[in-house]
Amino acid sequence: MRLSKRDQAMLDGAEGDANREAMAALVQLGEAFDAEDMVDIGYAHVHAGMAMYLGDVELMEDLAARGAKMAVPASTNIANADMEEWKATRAPESLVRLQRRAEGAHRSMGTGGCFTCTPYWAGHWPTWNTHMASIESGVTVFCNSVLGAKSNRDGFFAVYAGMTGRYPRFGLHLDDNRKPTHEITVEAAPEGTTDFTALGYAIGAEVTNTVPLIRGLPRRPNLDELDALGVGMATSGGVAMFILPGVTPPYSGAEPGLGHGLPSIGIRESDIRAVYDDFCSGTETGFDIVHLGCPHASFEEMKHYAALLDGRTVKSGVELWITTNRTVRTMAREAGLLKPIAASGAKVISDTCPISCHFARTTSPDPALGVEPPALRAIVVDSAKQARYIRDMIHCPTLLTSTEKAVETALSGRFVPRW
Amino acid sequence: MTRETRFQGRGIVNGRISGPALVSRTPFSFLGDVDIRTGTVIGELSDLRGRNIAGTVLIVPATRGSAGAWRFLYQLKQHGTHPLAIITGELPDPSVVQGAILSGIPIVSGLADRIGNQVTDGSTLTVDGDGGVVEVFET
Repeated sequence: MRLSKRDQAMLDGAEGDANREAMAALVQLGEAFDAEDMVDIGYAHVHAGMAMYLGDVELMEDLAARGAKMAVPASTNIANADMEEWKATRAPESLVRLQRRAEGAHRSMGTGGCFTCTPYWAGHWPTWNTHMASIESGVTVFCNSVLGAKSNRDGFFAVYAGMTGRYPRFGLHLDDNRKPTHEITVEAAPEGTTDFTALGYAIGAEVTNTVPLIRGLPRRPNLDELDALGVGMATSGGVAMFILPGVTPPYSGAEPGLGHGLPSIGIRESDIRAVYDDFCSGTETGFDIVHLGCPHASFEEMKHYAALLDGRTVKSGVELWITTNRTVRTMAREAGLLKPIAASGAKVISDTCPISCHFARTTSPDPALGVEPPALRAIVVDSAKQARYIRDMIHCPTLLTSTEKAVETALSGRFVPRW
Repeated sequence: MTRETRFQGRGIVNGRISGPALVSRTPFSFLGDVDIRTGTVIGELSDLRGRNIAGTVLIVPATRGSAGAWRFLYQLKQHGTHPLAIITGELPDPSVVQGAILSGIPIVSGLADRIGNQVTDGSTLTVDGDGGVVEVFET
């Protein structure tokens, strides 16, 4: 692998021990995947340090203590507890205290600490041709497919990329890999974010981790729907990039021969309905929580929720959770949107979500924290991503429906299906 | 007498260590296939179900994809239930590579079939992730 003078100097320890470790790790990664050299990155969405995993917050504290700093604009991924409104989720205080230590480590590293799976709604908006690294697969697919930035699906190494400003040139950092591998023809008219998560989920199940070219949508999806489409694919199939001509830079749709000769797959309304059916395993009244905001809600979605809940009351015995990032929560508060939401009895939660909080049973926290996941009958959701991981991580049934009908469900106490 | 056999593969993650072989013929997922606290394989799709990967040289044809695999490898390390080294057939996922580098678990790829056909569980292997060499010691 060809290293720049600065890469080599970092490897030799010229920028301190933490950056030496980071560069050595990035070089190993690059050599494993035949990278010729490294690229300069312009943004990193990095690991928060997760309080529900033993020694994980300490991993970030250790880097911070050794002087690590973010060399590029950086945001933090979702965490395991709301560090402000934690009582609303009944999280153990011990867990919250540990989670806040990760926040402290990020402050000292200079990370923009938004603790979210949607840093773009908090203002982190990388542009076309910006190389970047991301620990969150939903961020990867949105940035590749909607913004035209260049990102792989990373793990912890997004932190090393942020610290050094460098990343090995492989995967979707190479333009040759940013070409369609399959042609998807959508023969349906999805409406709203839930439909788009289900459409994405159906596509991802077909194409696994390749690059689908999407045709046939009757209109340009809005930003929330584009976000939903990508996370659906990233959840079921590991898709890191889709190509929607006219949306995905630089594809206008006028490229001669675009999609010619590719394997072709049709997705019908019945395929979208099948995703809803697959994630409706609970009973009509046997649920404890209704959840909105996966991925973390945008300001536009907060406006929508506030309008749906204005003057209404959540049914006694039901909890309505709205998850968003702390930046959007502040925007919503300033815009007066939190008042009607709070008056309805709904909870607005940041930094985490049902699958990321102490509900998950697949985590491995320090036993001394005393984390005990609650027994839940079922969770009503408006996202195929949340549904899939509730099944896999919380191990309880789900009921998937549209945002509007999930709100109706919370108000009536009786599940209102999408179809 | 000890018979020694040397295999040249591709070094993916640096480090050199010896340990007992555990051979699998099915792709392995570090997210979901293994109980972090004990190292016991619980995945229904794995032929290692019920076995323990802690302290072994784990030989698998491929790793099954998940962006979260790195965290679970690191959690195995934190709990002391990690494999000492991993030998794969196919190149492992980037997330597995990241988790192994973070956890100091050497990986050599391109050898799972050749070694899996020659050794039995418990044979002592020495894995050199820097040079991509695996040595087999059988008594």
